[in-house]
Amino acid sequence: MSGSSISTDALRGGGGGGSDPSGSSRRRRLALWLAGLGVLVVVALVAAATIPGSHSAPKPFSTLAVAPHGSGANQLHRHESAVFDSNIPAQEYGTRISRLENGIGADGQLASDLDPIPASAFNRPVGAYIHYALGVSDRLGTAVTVLTAQLQAGDRAAAERAWDVAFTDYLHLGAVYGLLPGNLNDHLAQVPSSLTQSHFTGLHRVEKGLWQGAPLRSLVPISQAISLAVVSLKHTLPRTQIDPLDYSARAHEILEDAQRDLMSGNQVPWSGEGVLGTAAGVTATREVVGTLAPLMQGRDNTLVQVDNWLLRLQSVMDSLRRADGSYPTLTQLTIAQRERINGNLAGALTALEGIPPTTETVLPPTFPTIASQEHTK
Amino acid sequence: MSPVDRRNFLKGSLTALGAGGAGVAVGLAGADRAHAAPAPDLATTARDLNARELSQRIPFDAFHQSGIITPKPAQATVIALDSVAANRTALFEGLQAISSEARLLTRGEPVGVAEIDDPPPDSGILGAYNAPDSLTVTVGFGASLFDDRYGLAAKRPPQLTPMPSFALDELDPTRTHGDVIVQICAGQRDTVVHTVRELMRAVAGHLTIRWMLDGFQTAVRDRDPKANTRNLFAFRDGTANPDATNPAKMDELIWVRAKRGEPAWTTGGSYMVVRVIRQHVEFWDRVGMLEQEQMIGRYRVSGAPLGGTYEHEDPRYDLDPHGDRIPLNAHIRLANPRTPKTSTQRILRRGYNYDRGVDGAGNLDQGLLFMAFNKDPDRQFATIQRRLETEPMTDYILPVGGGYFFVPPGSRGSGDWVGSGIAD
Repeated sequence: MSGSSISTDALRGGGGGGSDPSGSSRRRRLALWLAGLGVLVVVALVAAATIPGSHSAPKPFSTLAVAPHGSGANQLHRHESAVFDSNIPAQEYGTRISRLENGIGADGQLASDLDPIPASAFNRPVGAYIHYALGVSDRLGTAVTVLTAQLQAGDRAAAERAWDVAFTDYLHLGAVYGLLPGNLNDHLAQVPSSLTQSHFTGLHRVEKGLWQGAPLRSLVPISQAISLAVVSLKHTLPRTQIDPLDYSARAHEILEDAQRDLMSGNQVPWSGEGVLGTAAGVTATREVVGTLAPLMQGRDNTLVQVDNWLLRLQSVMDSLRRADGSYPTLTQLTIAQRERINGNLAGALTALEGIPPTTETVLPPTFPTIASQEHTK
Repeated sequence: MSPVDRRNFLKGSLTALGAGGAGVAVGLAGADRAHAAPAPDLATTARDLNARELSQRIPFDAFHQSGIITPKPAQATVIALDSVAANRTALFEGLQAISSEARLLTRGEPVGVAEIDDPPPDSGILGAYNAPDSLTVTVGFGASLFDDRYGLAAKRPPQLTPMPSFALDELDPTRTHGDVIVQICAGQRDTVVHTVRELMRAVAGHLTIRWMLDGFQTAVRDRDPKANTRNLFAFRDGTANPDATNPAKMDELIWVRAKRGEPAWTTGGSYMVVRVIRQHVEFWDRVGMLEQEQMIGRYRVSGAPLGGTYEHEDPRYDLDPHGDRIPLNAHIRLANPRTPKTSTQRILRRGYNYDRGVDGAGNLDQGLLFMAFNKDPDRQFATIQRRLETEPMTDYILPVGGGYFFVPPGSRGSGDWVGSGIAD
């Protein structure tokens, strides 16, 4: 009894009305009481009629469903006893919602709130990203040509600046890591397993030579070889395939790699350009997120959180960017600057971890148990 | 007032009341019983328990060194030392000093006094008595000890090589290898720290620290006494270990015996593998639960194999040939496929977690101080390690240091020292 009146109160939006102590109000209250009693009688009758035969499974409801405009479903004079678009009693709504939030569905079994997206929906985002990467590879080609020219001209400072630009464009490729055929990535920018190793190629070989004072002319052939690698990159990119789950994971992996390999200095051991590299990672990540945005619209709050954190991170990187486009090296960072990068990078990564579950393409499969496998054997 | 006094006092009161109604009498009798066994004071209980644990003693002198199959206490430090001894005699003095000091510390001795103007003989951080606290000190030798410096090449245990760099290792020379390894384990951190201090004092001028690392166990938080503690990916570690209380099994997998081509002094020893494995914990914490469990092959909370119900359950790969239940590249499946062929590859793991602050990028520097014992590192540990190169978990870990060592048999008594076989 009391349970039922509490829930109808709740459905009415907390009882409404002020506490007017006048007589008319008292009469109105009496009328409400009688009406309430009437409703209870009706509810009791309906319940008596339904409960004995009500063995049909409850119709599950969606937490996303809302009453259509103009349906009047939520208007105060109506006494709702069931959840909209379901036959679930209003009293049970809170319990069921909390169970659903805890991963248990209306049937009492474990439920997932995942709402898979068809894998084909990723064709357009991946295609858009490849298109972007093709544009980047054009810019990378130009940047490497400039690098070669500066090395030939013998201007170390200008060559270092050209290297920065080329390295930035290489990192702008972002989400294609690990997908390039053969040794193509090594030819572009192999990171040697040991700093003393000298048999390697690509942008990091030029980095080593530039910052360790090698004769600039000796680096020209290496830079020219990178140009050739960029040509095959342009041929390769249009044929590159990215699996949907893999693609959505790349949204956070680019910045995870930046944090682990660039902000630590591990992969920029000679130039120390970890901040520049991380800024490039933010650009590539925003590109990935941009392509996935249509798929995430209206799903949880992931896109809003991600956009918000990436903007914050972007503004941190922008604030460190100097007028000539360069960034402080890792050793030039003040404690406060490093903390702002580390902290906002961590915040962005925490937001980005929501992308793979938000863009899941399949429901979790049901796995066999040892007992079930014994049974089928 | 002692409990006895109180009981007499209550009996007196009851007499004074006379037959004052059954209810009162029952109530007071209840009170009497309660006071007959006074509720233990929690602080006293904790102190007693602590004192009992602090008094636990594991003998230093034994056929096998302690710290291998003895129970694993909560705290550890591993120190890799390099010899700076000018000659063989000085090196042996340093090694003898480790054993002498370890013998005293593991036994537990009152702290000695010295002349008032002399530095005290003990750092004194444990107070007046160095409680044993399950302390073990385990000593091993790296391959470099048998180079040409001390003429010990002929004594090198045949399976002892420098630890190779495996495919995905990024070994840092300042955290890898060493002439001598010392594993210190005890119940309390301060016991370990004290032992480090005293041992380093004892070997000063002979052996110097190349690298060191502190480790800890997660606390025992389960009712099941056989439940294994967790690594910092939150999964139970050590579940499939061979039974260290089974001597035949240990002889088969762990203890070295002299045979043709192997020096007699190695009998009763074992090969120790140390791996410093960084765990990218922030990265791991961003992985969905399902994926975490699939990477390991166990449920995170219970430690049961996927599809099973309890930690020590057989994962029954025979029923799951295609990896429908436990993926074929899950950690537990690659590490121990449980086939007749791989059963002789098993090793005894005795790892600790480490937590050494933060790296330059603001990430926690946490990981696993992996330690394991086996009788042939290449046939056992390395074979397992090479299988694990294809596991998906490799994205979340990075081996950065460690080494291969030979752990000689134990010291035979107060006149002996661990490793004395190399001096014969």
